[in-house]
Amino acid sequence: MSAEAARGVRGCRRARPRPKRGLARLHPLAGLAYVMVLAFAGVVLNNPLQLCLLLAVILAALLVGRSLRAALPYLKVALYVAGFMAVLNPLFGGGGLDVLWEAHLPLLHIRVTIQGLAFGLGTALRLTAVISAFALYTVVLDADDQLALLSRLSFRSGLVISLATRLFPVLTRDGERIAEAQRSRGVELDAGGRRRRAAARLPLLAALTTQSLERAMDVAASMEARGYGRPGRTNWNKRRLVEPGDRFVVALALAAGVLLAAGLAFRFFAYAYYPLLDDPWPGLADPWWLLLFAALAAPIVWLALPHTRMSSLKAPTREARWR
Amino acid sequence: MAVIARLERVTYTYPGADRPALRDVSLAFKPAEVVLVVGGSGSGKSTLLRALAGLVPHFHGGVFAGRVTVLGRDTRQARPRDLAGDVGFVFQDPESQAVMTTVEREIAFGLENLGVEPRAITRRVEEALIALGLSRLRHAELSTLSGGELQKVALAAVVATQPHLLLLDEPTSQLDPVSSEDLLAAVRRLSEDTGATIVLAEHRVERCLHLATRVVYMAHGAVVVDDDPQGFARWAAPSRRELLPPVARLFVQRAGPDGVQRATGPAPDRATRTEERLPMTVKDARRLLEEDLERGEILQLQPAALSGGATAAELPSRETVLEVRGLSAALEPGVPVLERIDLRLRRGEVVALMGENGAGKTTLVRHFNGLLQAATGEVRLLGRNVAGLTVAQAARSCGLLGQNPSAYFVKDTVADEIDYTLDQLEVEGGDRDRLRARALAAFDLEALLARNPRDLSGGERTRVALAAVAAGDPPLLVLDEPTRGMDPLHKAALGRLLGRLAAGGRGVLVVTHDVEFAARFAARAVILGDGAILADGPVHEVLDGSLFFSTQVNRLLRHRLPGALHEDELVWRSAEPADAPGVAHAEAGASGEAS
Repeated sequence: MSAEAARGVRGCRRARPRPKRGLARLHPLAGLAYVMVLAFAGVVLNNPLQLCLLLAVILAALLVGRSLRAALPYLKVALYVAGFMAVLNPLFGGGGLDVLWEAHLPLLHIRVTIQGLAFGLGTALRLTAVISAFALYTVVLDADDQLALLSRLSFRSGLVISLATRLFPVLTRDGERIAEAQRSRGVELDAGGRRRRAAARLPLLAALTTQSLERAMDVAASMEARGYGRPGRTNWNKRRLVEPGDRFVVALALAAGVLLAAGLAFRFFAYAYYPLLDDPWPGLADPWWLLLFAALAAPIVWLALPHTRMSSLKAPTREARWR
Repeated sequence: MAVIARLERVTYTYPGADRPALRDVSLAFKPAEVVLVVGGSGSGKSTLLRALAGLVPHFHGGVFAGRVTVLGRDTRQARPRDLAGDVGFVFQDPESQAVMTTVEREIAFGLENLGVEPRAITRRVEEALIALGLSRLRHAELSTLSGGELQKVALAAVVATQPHLLLLDEPTSQLDPVSSEDLLAAVRRLSEDTGATIVLAEHRVERCLHLATRVVYMAHGAVVVDDDPQGFARWAAPSRRELLPPVARLFVQRAGPDGVQRATGPAPDRATRTEERLPMTVKDARRLLEEDLERGEILQLQPAALSGGATAAELPSRETVLEVRGLSAALEPGVPVLERIDLRLRRGEVVALMGENGAGKTTLVRHFNGLLQAATGEVRLLGRNVAGLTVAQAARSCGLLGQNPSAYFVKDTVADEIDYTLDQLEVEGGDRDRLRARALAAFDLEALLARNPRDLSGGERTRVALAAVAAGDPPLLVLDEPTRGMDPLHKAALGRLLGRLAAGGRGVLVVTHDVEFAARFAARAVILGDGAILADGPVHEVLDGSLFFSTQVNRLLRHRLPGALHEDELVWRSAEPADAPGVAHAEAGASGEAS
């Protein structure tokens, strides 16, 4: 392809909005409700097998949104943190009856148990699920849609949430730039063992923090100078009308939310790690869990079906009507 | 005439700063004025603009004295958001002011905040897209845009709000010459059509002086000159020529000491006495040149320019430091950015790489030290294939300064930044002292040693980052838009420094939109476009006769003295009897023939 043709391709690509996929096709409120309930499930569930299935649903949502690659940095962070938790907890948790290894140190009594290991794993799974749900919000849902949605509810909190969800992508990009700049002046960031690599990267962390603070200040100044926070704000976003598909997802998310809240109150999803591990398998056949899983998985199955089309893709948006 | 905005004895000091950024500034801005604010790095230009927008003191805090009123509202009472409908502000760094994720929504953001009806937003967004030539990018994500494109989006977002007072902080710093002209034309249109007052802080006066109805020169936070462009030119002619556009400098040169005195003297009838006027544009200069030639003045090319002006340094070894062979790169599969690029750079050369915004210049240079790997083809540094090196290893041969100087700062002081580079490169003993001293002296950093690099102005930051990259003395130095935000004095100093680095045996490649800088300091120019190299040769050959990638002086003299790029290559003299009157001359053997 010639460069001229390539420029044409680039121009055409940019002349059309990027197609929305997966949860981004839903009304912003429906997408937000669904992601929130996934994160809530990550907090409430305790059974490691249930948590594995929850993770599978979140990964499926990323896949359907074709955003798995974009979510990889988040998943990496989740795995690092989860791994850290999984290793530390058995060393310092100490609970459980099935002792695998024990050590009496002057100031520390280390007692590794099967229950401690399982709890560490379970905690790691919960953390991974919550971070993955956060990744889903950031990389699949449309950030501008979310800002507009939340600004209608409460503009200031909308800003806080919007900045919070964009912070990680901005930090990632800035981090890459700083790393490139440092390599370009001869800093070897990837040589040697972990300690050396960590030492080489430490100054970058400070620079990244400073730069992100500077950027936050600049953006805030820009927003202030552009009238952000004035009363009577209007919305021009290409707002979709709420449609049956959106209502379906919101209804399922609400149902799942109620189930989780009830489960929290009445211990439907209880699972004990100490003093002895509960058997995790019966939890998968629990009717409350089956209902919850169906409510969480159904929207993704529905969005993944090849014949699924949101009627709004054919219907004119409000914004199109304005035109 | 009514006043749009007024500063009365404003003195302002940023929190923690030891000296004021503005000192006793009093100015008034009238409707439809286009005010150009010039001054060195850290002179207070940006702070002046922020004071007019109300960001100083509301957003930044600090100690504020005096009074600023915008459309009758005192900024001590009115917050920036209250002024937003009347005041539009385009910041220096377009990336840091983007709030939304796509172009269209970014433009609509300010209108939404102002409570404009959605129907009207649609129309205003469309108009802004058309005015700035952004229609094809309407749905593009901001993270995918080049710096120049982002700058246009930032302006479009402000233009859409139709402000009465438009504040522009170096709006053309990242734009190629064509985009820059388009952008400034849009600004002028806004002023003419709506009566908006424009206050424009800019270092590249040759790009915008002709638009200005008034020029304010600032130094150390104070207003030194506030006059119309001719008055400013008269003031600058004797001792601050670098502040003038090249064609004006050419005519200052003609005037000589007497002429300068005449030009700075009282001029009760400036409009009609052309001999006392200095041209601001090529068109003005052409008319004046005709008058001068008719009077028998002769303009000649200097012998040095006839042999090609700036040339590669004479070195015992002209070893190739960089060789690019058949390099292709793609943004994504099927969308190539660069195709089969061949390029060679030798020791002693200063090469300017130019091209329109988005042409792939940055993509190309990021291959030089391995930040990007070639899809096909190869890059060799001193004969070694970059594919086999880490970026840090390649940095010993190729120092690359990117577009964002702040990304280089990881230490608390300027001195520590230089030391950090030398530590990383394991430079010890006498060499270390020599390199450190040279970097500090060459980049004029002695006064900044104890300062935090992040507290410095844009131009100063660039110098410090460049010093950090160059401290290790790599044989190839690549600089991506280094003159962005740099004042003329430091820009000239940088150009001379690059020349000295080349003379010392290094190869230097500068990615730049600054044609005047390239013409003056590069020996060779490469123009990139359509994914390929469109021109590559001595700077005089490549820039001579080009419509946009050429200098003011060349556009003025291309038919009379082909090859002339800047005023220092030219000399005026009075006609002798043997000379035909009204003729510009070149010395014998010159590429420029008498016309």
